[in-house]
Amino acid sequence: MKRGTLVILILIITGSLAFASSMGVLKRRPLPDEYGNVFMNNYSMKNNIAPVIFNHWLHRAKYTCRLCHVDLGFAMKAGATGVTEEDNKRGFYCGACHNGKEAFGPKEKNMFGKETKNCARCHSFGQGPVLEKDFYKFTKEFPKGRFGNGIDWEKAEQEGKIRLKDYLEGVSIRRKPLSVPKDFDINAGAAHMPEIIFSHRKHAVWNGCEVCHPEIFDVRKGATKYTMSDIFSGKYCGVCHGKVAFPNLDCQRCHSKPI
Amino acid sequence: MKSKLLVISLAGLLLLTFLPSNAVAQFLQLPPAPPPEQYGNILINRNSGNYGVKPVVFSHWLHRMKYTCRVCHLELGFNFQASTTLITEKANREGKYCGACHNGKIAFGITKDNCKLCHNGDISSGKSEFARLETLPKAGYGNGIDWVKAVEDGAIKPKGSLDGNYKTVPFKKKLTYEVEWGDIPPAVFPHKAHILWLDCANCHPGIFNIEMKSTRHFSMDEMVNRESCGVCHLTVAFPLNDCRGCHRR
Repeated sequence: MKRGTLVILILIITGSLAFASSMGVLKRRPLPDEYGNVFMNNYSMKNNIAPVIFNHWLHRAKYTCRLCHVDLGFAMKAGATGVTEEDNKRGFYCGACHNGKEAFGPKEKNMFGKETKNCARCHSFGQGPVLEKDFYKFTKEFPKGRFGNGIDWEKAEQEGKIRLKDYLEGVSIRRKPLSVPKDFDINAGAAHMPEIIFSHRKHAVWNGCEVCHPEIFDVRKGATKYTMSDIFSGKYCGVCHGKVAFPNLDCQRCHSKPI
Repeated sequence: MKSKLLVISLAGLLLLTFLPSNAVAQFLQLPPAPPPEQYGNILINRNSGNYGVKPVVFSHWLHRMKYTCRVCHLELGFNFQASTTLITEKANREGKYCGACHNGKIAFGITKDNCKLCHNGDISSGKSEFARLETLPKAGYGNGIDWVKAVEDGAIKPKGSLDGNYKTVPFKKKLTYEVEWGDIPPAVFPHKAHILWLDCANCHPGIFNIEMKSTRHFSMDEMVNRESCGVCHLTVAFPLNDCRGCHRR
């Protein structure tokens, strides 16, 4: 199981980056419970502990993307944050929540004072099923989506199936919300290809402004030029779509303006 | 130098125009052509043998009369290579893969009497059903059926999606690929015929990049190796033996 899983995970993680070198064949798609899972092994194996498997699906059912990727400073690329145990203990990154208050901490005491270690709940690669929540049970009531996790996350939020926390006491600082720009069309640049309807409103629910602007997308209208190939190779929209947000397979979900 | 080119082009021209197609097949080392009623039939044996069950016979022609390629290969997640999809009986019973239709509602279900309908290890099974295809437009290769014309003429109406919630992107651009071998006509690629059956994501970007001219060349050798066009046009869609299927003036 281990070698196979490792291969699959690496495939998922490097997924859209690797496509250029594997042209001509079709890759296996990740299973719904694998989609958006991130394999983190900057320091784990060097320190003789199993690598971390971070599952986006469980976290995004409770928190906005913005909370971790802006307030906590997580990079948008697996492994690029370089989280250390020391960081977590000082209350940064994972440790901002995984401290025994907001979420389980590294150690827990039960009512009789018996201590249990929670290491394997995150350092779970190759450790068998250790998650408290089973993906399929947890997401059973969520509206179904076509690809990725098989969940329509946008709808799940709209319908109140999930409530996203966007503020973490002691970390986040509230600002007055900015007005959300109107939806606009993006030219697809090819005849017969429907234009893209981009909705700031839908994105802002999860991302605020800061996840995308100004680093991924310039704020000046039309200043960022990109192609579908850039997106497929994990840039621009592809920073999220294809890894965590609904994948690029779902062409019509963006290319949706009637011709 | 010029004369060499001329010789090569002439040879290419000869090859395509005068030689019978089995010579082309030999030259390109194409797999042997099965009889029409077996073309596109595959035996699936990822796990069956391990449980003492006979491999599953799957007939593409039987299924493509009712459903487009995208239904199974995109919505249901079937790979484009036999025996690589993680189909299990459990998954089928939970309504995944084959079980999405073979549930006793859309198509026959998984019951004791029905096992042998699929698990029979016989690549030629379903032969008697093939007579049903008699009225469809004819073609010279593969199943002997012009499947694209069959849809365009309305002779068959394959469903594009299980939930009926799918609309094709109307991208109809025709691409032309010049051939390096002098006088062989360029290969023509019509998006229109492909979107009748496939989803954009079936081919893009996994099999074909979408950036113009970024694929340096398509080689027949690759296709014979089940890459690029050969993912389909070797075993299910009209085979590579049908040179004129793509190389047209």
